[in-house]
Amino acid sequence: MLSSAYPWWWLALPVLLLPVWWHRQKRQRPTAEPLATARFLPAAAPEQIRVWRWRDRTLLLVRCLLLVALIAWLAATIFPWRGHTVLVDAGADPAWVAQQVAAAGMTDAQRLPLPPDALHWLRAHEGDWRDDARLLIVARAGHIGMTARAPQFSHPVELRVQPAPAIAATVVAVNALARYPVVLAASPERSGAWRALFAAFDRAGSGTQRRTVATAPSAGTELIVWDTPGEAPPAQWHAPHWWIGAGATLPATGKSATLKVDDITLQYVDSARGRLWTSDAFPPRDAGTARALYEAWRLLDAAPAPAYPAPSHTFAAARPAAMEDQTAQPGQSARWMALALLALFLLERILTHARRH
Amino acid sequence: MADSINAMMARTRDLELVIRHVLAGLGHGIHAGRERGAGVEFSEYRAYAPGDEWRRVDWKLLARADRYFVREAERDSHVAVWLWLDATASMAEPSRNDGMTGVDKLWFARTALACVAAIAQRQGDAFGLVVCSGGKVEFTQAARGPRQLQRVLEQLNRAQPDGALPTAQVLKANLHFARAPGLIFAASDFLDWPSPLSEALLRLRNLRHDVRLLTLRTRAEMDASFAFGSGYRDPEQGQGLYRFTKADRAGYQQQSRAHFDLVATSCRQHNIVQHEACIEQPLPDVLRRWLNLARAR
Repeated sequence: MLSSAYPWWWLALPVLLLPVWWHRQKRQRPTAEPLATARFLPAAAPEQIRVWRWRDRTLLLVRCLLLVALIAWLAATIFPWRGHTVLVDAGADPAWVAQQVAAAGMTDAQRLPLPPDALHWLRAHEGDWRDDARLLIVARAGHIGMTARAPQFSHPVELRVQPAPAIAATVVAVNALARYPVVLAASPERSGAWRALFAAFDRAGSGTQRRTVATAPSAGTELIVWDTPGEAPPAQWHAPHWWIGAGATLPATGKSATLKVDDITLQYVDSARGRLWTSDAFPPRDAGTARALYEAWRLLDAAPAPAYPAPSHTFAAARPAAMEDQTAQPGQSARWMALALLALFLLERILTHARRH
Repeated sequence: MADSINAMMARTRDLELVIRHVLAGLGHGIHAGRERGAGVEFSEYRAYAPGDEWRRVDWKLLARADRYFVREAERDSHVAVWLWLDATASMAEPSRNDGMTGVDKLWFARTALACVAAIAQRQGDAFGLVVCSGGKVEFTQAARGPRQLQRVLEQLNRAQPDGALPTAQVLKANLHFARAPGLIFAASDFLDWPSPLSEALLRLRNLRHDVRLLTLRTRAEMDASFAFGSGYRDPEQGQGLYRFTKADRAGYQQQSRAHFDLVATSCRQHNIVQHEACIEQPLPDVLRRWLNLARAR
């Protein structure tokens, strides 16, 4: 129950303070003593004082339980609320994405960033989508792994995969040692931090990647780190990705976008020379930031491609029995919760009635 | 110390005991029955005259003196005594003095009227009771004898402070006893004046009844010595709240004095005997003074 998809309903628990407050406050008149000759005294304005006292503890308990049951029921119940949705891979070419979305006729649909392991995630969260919703996944090649069995969704899901660009050989064989040439142009005081970062990157993960640090870009260079404040990089430098340190600027052509992965906020903008990334975390100042940056970068772009990437595919809507079983568990608890809610409501009404008479 | 007599008497609900205690030092009757005739209490012998009933002849004396004598007794009085008890909610006002627990206006009025009833019974007068409580009038027919005393004491004991005075219509419907002239002893706080009660009493006075009022107050009412700061309400008038502070004391005393002066003036104008008493005063003294007032008139 607590592991439901809507745990934030439990944030409504402070609502319990309301009945407590109601039951503790009681306005009552100050006790007036009968006095036969009161008529000879000046009239006083009727005053009310607030007395703090516990009253009707049983009723209070039932009311609190009722609220808890209501919150629990809301937390256990999943209301499908998402409509047509496009899951967009943040690293995919925006122009291509726009084209694909338009082709699928889902320009007005809501856009969500593509979660890692998208197909599994989609299966787990499919209850969020309304029955008539359609889903479109647009991603680069090699970012969505093929599942062993064709996944079945209760909504029509279309997967569109961008063909792999010719220059970037991102698909690497498992266990092969991949070399990533990295160009580092940084001021001497920051250069050390960057080198340490890449050394750490090499050791991270399965240790199958090596980053070779050079001073000038070659044809295979994936990443240029430009961290010399006040200077512009040579005009002939090109790379798919640039990490721009604080203080350095490059002319951009596209619109800036912000991504937040874990604790790292990354901003990117497309330019004629490649995608320019800026972040407050450049260069990482401590191991924690370096690790977060590594994870973020891996998720975004340099993630090791799945062994068997999924091609473009359209999944027809189906309601397999297996899915019913999967959703039966939260549905069952919600049903019991609703019954408890009803019982508590009746009890509360009865007690309130009994208190009045 | 003398004050505590009332508290002592208030502890018992046995009115007869109280009556005996009060009347022990109170030998005087309500009025003198001077007429002679057939009755219970022996008065004198007189010579037989033709026409006298044979059963009134004293045969023992005939044997002794060889002359006919007729027993004369004090004739039963034809004056009816009406006891009028105000048992409205305001009569529940207790004494706020120390050592006076159980003494309230209703107890005082009830006990005083019970003593008057006992005196009337001893004199052979017929007496009846009128209790005004909760907007109603409870009426006990006038009669003589010890059984009537029991009945009246029972009624007096049963009276509970409740509600307001009856309306003028209700009172008027119950004034059918007004035909024969009588004595009316009314005990009340007379906080409502003029009121249906006061008007009824004035009306009775105009019908040649002898009306005697006992106005009951408490020591705290007279001295305005209530607790300051506490809220007060009128037991007979709605939900209104009244305050009493040091500054209100003079105003209270002035208003209260003006009211009871009005009562006294009104009584004097109509030749009504009115005695203002404080329930902390010893009951026998108050009773004696009340009864003597009428005699002095």
